[in-house]
Amino acid sequence: MKRGIFILLILSIILTGCWNRRELNELAITLALGIDKSEDEYLISAQVVVPGEVSLTGGKVGSPVTLVQARGGTVYEAIRKMTKSSPRKIYPGHLRMLVLGESVAEEGIGDPLDLISRDWEFRSDFYVVVAKEDTAEHILNIQTPLENIPANKMFNTLKVSEENWSATSGVTIDELIVDLRSEGKEAVLTGILATGKQEGGSSKQSLETILSNINIQYDDLAVFKDDKLVGWLTENESRAYNGIINEVKSTVAAISCPNEGKANIEVLDFKSKLKGNVKNGNPEVDINVKIVGNIGAIECPIDISKPESIEALEKIYEKEVEETINNSITSVQEKYEADIFGFGDAIYRSNPKEWESLKNQWNQHFTELPVTIKVDVKLRKTGTVNNSITEPRKE
Amino acid sequence: MQKVKINSYQFLVLVILFSIGTSILVGPSALAAKSKQDAWIAALISTGIGLLIVWLFTKIGLWFPTLTFVQMNETLFGKWIGKFFSCLFVFLNLLFTAILLYYSGSFLTTHLIPNTPMAATNILMALILVMAVRLGLETFARSAEIFIVIFFSLFILLVIFISSEIKFENIEPIFERNIKDIAQSSLLMLVVTSVNAVSLLMIFPALINQPKQAKKSFFIGNLIGGLVVSIITILCIFVLGSDATARQIYPSYGLAKKINVGNFVNRVEALMAALWIIGLYIKMVLYFYATALGIAQICNLKEYRSLTYPLGIIVVVLSLTLFSNVMEQEQFDTTIAIYISLLIGLLLPLLMVFVYAIRKKQFKKDGGS
Repeated sequence: MKRGIFILLILSIILTGCWNRRELNELAITLALGIDKSEDEYLISAQVVVPGEVSLTGGKVGSPVTLVQARGGTVYEAIRKMTKSSPRKIYPGHLRMLVLGESVAEEGIGDPLDLISRDWEFRSDFYVVVAKEDTAEHILNIQTPLENIPANKMFNTLKVSEENWSATSGVTIDELIVDLRSEGKEAVLTGILATGKQEGGSSKQSLETILSNINIQYDDLAVFKDDKLVGWLTENESRAYNGIINEVKSTVAAISCPNEGKANIEVLDFKSKLKGNVKNGNPEVDINVKIVGNIGAIECPIDISKPESIEALEKIYEKEVEETINNSITSVQEKYEADIFGFGDAIYRSNPKEWESLKNQWNQHFTELPVTIKVDVKLRKTGTVNNSITEPRKE
Repeated sequence: MQKVKINSYQFLVLVILFSIGTSILVGPSALAAKSKQDAWIAALISTGIGLLIVWLFTKIGLWFPTLTFVQMNETLFGKWIGKFFSCLFVFLNLLFTAILLYYSGSFLTTHLIPNTPMAATNILMALILVMAVRLGLETFARSAEIFIVIFFSLFILLVIFISSEIKFENIEPIFERNIKDIAQSSLLMLVVTSVNAVSLLMIFPALINQPKQAKKSFFIGNLIGGLVVSIITILCIFVLGSDATARQIYPSYGLAKKINVGNFVNRVEALMAALWIIGLYIKMVLYFYATALGIAQICNLKEYRSLTYPLGIIVVVLSLTLFSNVMEQEQFDTTIAIYISLLIGLLLPLLMVFVYAIRKKQFKKDGGS
């Protein structure tokens, strides 16, 4: 008896397995998913890795990824329908990018996103972007240099540019859903577009030249109202947006010198604080920005060995940041009437009682909202040299 | 019945895991549904009030340091009324064992092994449940001592890893919700973590070798459990925001999904699921132990062990048939389950206090025998 149980135990260790196990060779590992809408039907495109092509030993003849597509009345339906053309079932657990076609963004992204927040196989750490004046299908159909797998290129590019240039915003799905559900903040997504020749990007031959014929790159930010795309920000507005919501990690700013020419500031630390307030029933918002930076490049005659010049540059930069932020807010208030900056949330946090009465007509209040901006810039270092090359030598 | 005894530290461990049990998994969501970003206040309030309830339990327990809750009922209310109340008590424990089994199955099949039928997960869980209870209190108390080390290592890791994702503004505005909403949420958690601890009166103080220290363990254990749940709740709100916390069925699992340390330590939520399975399991074992021992004592059986197999089968079947869907379970939890708990976990003990006050002299005369 004892021995029987013992053997059974040993066997149960060896013979375990999941109920519905799916081994690696049964998965279609999907790294990017595209959603388009045409004539009441969703067109879902899944960029699936071809394992043989990305392995270290074999492959390298075909494309590293393939596109599986299907149409359906709902997203879920379409994803399941993909099995009609793919020998493996779509596995979205490693998804990196979700690309929304412009058509779907204009009609509303709430419904197609429900499946993605409900299904257990989707995680919450992938980026969501909008194809600018394009379909998601086309974006996912382009080969990329440097990164073998286009989805990885998109993911890493967005990550790097968000950290170093700050005109893009890497929004993950759970952040997007929080924005969509919030009463005091509208959603914003980064745009993605194909540049260069519009045809033939699907073929690997497009990568055989140094300058690839077609490339995918990020554009400025898309403004949503409720869950519908209403317009696009300019580059300066996009950077101001990231500044206001305190998402700037590092960036480079061009400022004009006191006399003529330009100088660059390398921003090392950018902190902004939003504070809401309600005075006599009227909401208002204070933005407090603190910037620490270095002088990155001087392209004008200024003697930066003097502390006063540094101070002058600080003042100029302060003023320019203030203006950019101010202009961007005014432009969003006038053009889109959508509170993408989360001013409503700031008011809710500071004055929850007054917010109750303000929230019903928040879009109206937002367009008239007075915003006070305070910027404080500290320039610490000048890089490895002091004066610029063109600065006349002191005798 | 042979006398098994555990020491006060082992009891502390059991109380901690019992209090954390289910609350850590579903608590944040249930709290945030009504209290929004003030959910953590509700959690702290219920932890505070929970100590009062525990005080009531220890008071009752120490009147008769050698009797279990079921035996106490018979001593206080007389044989037949006492047996009736004990039956209700056993019913509560049986029901909650089944509900917890449903929880574990539902959690596993939602997030980890969705294509596995719940019957399979529940039968496996019930097997180790029956095994633990058959091996007896001493054995599973000792295994709980090991589990708690794993539990707190994972918990501390979770807190450290997730701390980089914290957004402090999510918690503002503080004290915005009205008292009624916060009170309702607190009640929910109070019932789950403290009122249900009435089941522990089957162990405390009769089966503990140092009843006086065990009283302290009861308090400290309940406090630690409440604090752990409060910390998880506040982390959920800090990281996910109150809306997302309320929207998810298992928000603390969503919390673990967010862990990403330097693109290196990520996707560890399956590991973190051990936290909830440990909590659920120990709580389930304690309910099941109270059920088996309770029935044995009501029927004056020598051994409770022979009851474990049939009860195990009943529990599995109950867990599979109790709810037809998840929403039904959620509704049951926030309505009927609370009434049942309050009836047996709060009203019955208060009634006992009342009867004891009347019959005090009589017990004193008998010399407490």
